[in-house]
Amino acid sequence: MSEIREKTKAIVAKGKALGADEVVAQTSFGRYRQIRFSNNQIDISTAWNTYITDVHLGWKKRFVGTEIQDFQNTDKVMKNLVKLAKVSKENPTYGGLAAGNFAYKKPSADTKIRDFENPTEHVVEALEAARREVGDDVNVGGTLFARYEDVHLVSSEGPTGTDARSSIELSVRAFSQRDASGHGVECSSSLKDFNPAKAGEKAGRIAKLAQNPKQGKEGRYSIIFDPLIFGSLLGTWGSMASAYYVMIKFSVFTDKLGEKVASDNVTLRDKPASYSVANRAFDDEGVPLQENVIIKHGTLNTLLHNTSTAKVFKTKTTGNAGLVSPRTWNIEMDPGDFTQSELFSQVKRGLYLTNTWYTRFQNYATGDFSTLPRDGIFLVENGEVTQSLKDLRLSDNALRLLKQIAGISKERQHVRWWGFESVTPALAPYVLAEDIQMTKPT
Amino acid sequence: MDKDLVDFSLEYARKKGAEYAEARANTTKREELVVKNGTLDAYVSSVDSGFCVRVLLDGGIGFASSNRWSKEEAKAVVETAVKFAKAAKRRERISFADETGVEAQWHVEEKQKIDDIQSESKIDEVMTIEKELTAQKIKIPGRILSCQTALIDKYFVNSEGSRIRSYLPRIAAYALITVVENGKPEQAFKMFGHSSGWEAFQEWKMADVLLHEAKMLQRLIKEGKPVKPGKMDLVCGTEVTGIAAHESCGHPIEADRILGREMSQAGRSFIYQGGPFWVGTRIGNDMVTIVDDPTVKNSYGYYEYDDEGIKARPRYLYKNGRIDEFLHNRETAAKLDTRSNGSSRSINYNREAIVRMANTFLQPGGWSEEEIIEDVKQGVYMKSFTEWNIDDRRFNQRYVGREAYLVENGELKHPIAKPIIETTTKTWWSSVDAISKEVGYDAATCGKGDPMQGMPVYTGGPVIRLREVYVK
Repeated sequence: MSEIREKTKAIVAKGKALGADEVVAQTSFGRYRQIRFSNNQIDISTAWNTYITDVHLGWKKRFVGTEIQDFQNTDKVMKNLVKLAKVSKENPTYGGLAAGNFAYKKPSADTKIRDFENPTEHVVEALEAARREVGDDVNVGGTLFARYEDVHLVSSEGPTGTDARSSIELSVRAFSQRDASGHGVECSSSLKDFNPAKAGEKAGRIAKLAQNPKQGKEGRYSIIFDPLIFGSLLGTWGSMASAYYVMIKFSVFTDKLGEKVASDNVTLRDKPASYSVANRAFDDEGVPLQENVIIKHGTLNTLLHNTSTAKVFKTKTTGNAGLVSPRTWNIEMDPGDFTQSELFSQVKRGLYLTNTWYTRFQNYATGDFSTLPRDGIFLVENGEVTQSLKDLRLSDNALRLLKQIAGISKERQHVRWWGFESVTPALAPYVLAEDIQMTKPT
Repeated sequence: MDKDLVDFSLEYARKKGAEYAEARANTTKREELVVKNGTLDAYVSSVDSGFCVRVLLDGGIGFASSNRWSKEEAKAVVETAVKFAKAAKRRERISFADETGVEAQWHVEEKQKIDDIQSESKIDEVMTIEKELTAQKIKIPGRILSCQTALIDKYFVNSEGSRIRSYLPRIAAYALITVVENGKPEQAFKMFGHSSGWEAFQEWKMADVLLHEAKMLQRLIKEGKPVKPGKMDLVCGTEVTGIAAHESCGHPIEADRILGREMSQAGRSFIYQGGPFWVGTRIGNDMVTIVDDPTVKNSYGYYEYDDEGIKARPRYLYKNGRIDEFLHNRETAAKLDTRSNGSSRSINYNREAIVRMANTFLQPGGWSEEEIIEDVKQGVYMKSFTEWNIDDRRFNQRYVGREAYLVENGELKHPIAKPIIETTTKTWWSSVDAISKEVGYDAATCGKGDPMQGMPVYTGGPVIRLREVYVK
């Protein structure tokens, strides 16, 4: 591994020798394994290995980047990159790279994930759990994805770090009838906390409950969001906290720092915790990751920054580089006071939504959007699920939805799956929001 | 690209017992520049090169890839793919529809070679658009202009004797703008894409298109009124027709969805064996014929052979109002006892090829746009869209207008703010009663696959009229 670090250092040194003002290089050796399954059988097992060094450099406020594969043609690539910088245009908002010598948390990646050769037994476990819920007629599909990355970062401005990142994610969808399905996920940074049967069981349980759905009715509802659907929305709000999106007005949080943007009970954090599938030690400038409270008791507390956006906003980096655009790592919503069953008991007549996809905005500045709930959609009466429904669309406003949150559960789940619009995972509770618009096709 | 190593990988896979094997290599030279609010944010230039091996063995499929070009790595890649195929232990064995090997070379001409255009010229051209956009008296506080080029060198071989080399230059650009008037923001997104040389960049006339968008949004804020909800005629511009063709015809007709392989991601389809919709079932009016055609010259979704080495051809998805032909790769074709129609695509060497659209469009009719509007007593002309989505069976969909106008007695009136149609696939295509003569195309990136493979496509169609549909 020290050889990789030395080669990465040499790339940075080369950039400096060629006249760059600052250079950062990040070498990742990634090992990825995936099993895709459908109709209760494995469709394909896939492996891909990547050996990549991402290099970015600044020269007189010009900022350029490239990739070097497996340390091939390094000198030529660096010469071309510096040449590109010299014909590029000055970016007055470029604020350089973070400077300093930082200490990082010790990597806690699970080497058992690295050594995975063919984890089909986890798929079988999930399939069987779904079958136990639904019976032999169940039709199950999904994806198991394992990732292990060794990362070495070297910056001419001081930061030098080594990281190892691991994650395992299982996404399971079960059908009990053609139009009755449920979805469960299991996401973890290590195998010891990974329980594939839990995802299969949830998918099967919801699929069974979703049988014989009736056409839902348009109207305004109290809605209980499952952690899976709310986690998807958390990622969307998290992305909008990136200073980059605020600068281009593609955020509901533009000009709202210090203002009320959500109910008092809402606190959202970007927290790159060790349990998360997005665990890592430093950002793309080499700044140690930190916890940032985006919304504190309903008030917009901070945007997410890299060094450049921080200078524009006259603040400090929050450790969220993205060299061009600040990124979120892992959005957590603070737990509330209700148990899951207490939250359901708050609802006289409402809906329980378990999953969604295809979230699209009319206008990112105002937040008008719609999203399509899928898998179980349930009518809730006096705290109980009384009917499975179908063909409803949540059509409301992202800022208004934050303000309509009336209850949050104590229980939370770490979630991410293919249908998230943002790649950011979340730690999401069950959430009750009042008076939310649902529409249907005519 | 080391072709010998690709050939070696194929031979090694055969030696390891693969019943079918293929090796595919991609070398892609990419450039992207992004101008944010008038400043060049970043210019990224890179070359990505690697290879993959896919094997069919004991009824299972294994796939492995790497960007390390060495014999040891190639052996490891093959051995992993073989091991994975064996581990599948499927009850139903996967097979591929029959094909014979083909040797071919193809490429797309560049009138102005992308490699010959200096970086500073590319920057200057984008900056010129930025200047034209901001020279007007329109407040546009949020602006992103991006230009991307990809020069894709590909080599495909398989154990049936296929050997195909190709060179595909692609160029794309997109713009996001936020216009503010009286403190109110409105937004537009426009994308452009060709398979060609740099000449496309001038052909797009991006500055004109974006200025039209900016002026339109400004007027929409000043003069836009909501529509009175109810049944009315809806005239759809080519952009709206195109997205509907893509979402409610192209996607549900993908055979892998129909067979359930995408069930846990992009979903299944309202078309399925034993269900109410299958080949021959009526889905729209007689005049509705939707084609997916990879061979549209210089289109963003252009290719001559797919990523399984099958010759590309037009596919008639809905024909004269009836479901006609599914999009197939060799695996889905075998399951439905037919032949592949060349719909297998992959975005790079490290992704499996799956069933994808290319350029999906409604075929033209006999009307002029003016005639279509003249014949509307009360309705809305939705020229373009903003928010849209569709369910995972591809039946329940919604499109919200970006540029839209009231139509009264055959005349366009004031802008309509965010008219919405939320309807079903059957209602949409059954309501079409007029189709214009001219087809318009829009470049788009189609999302499908796990991991996600954003695929270049065209959506397209003529101006159409939907009679008596509910608009709100």
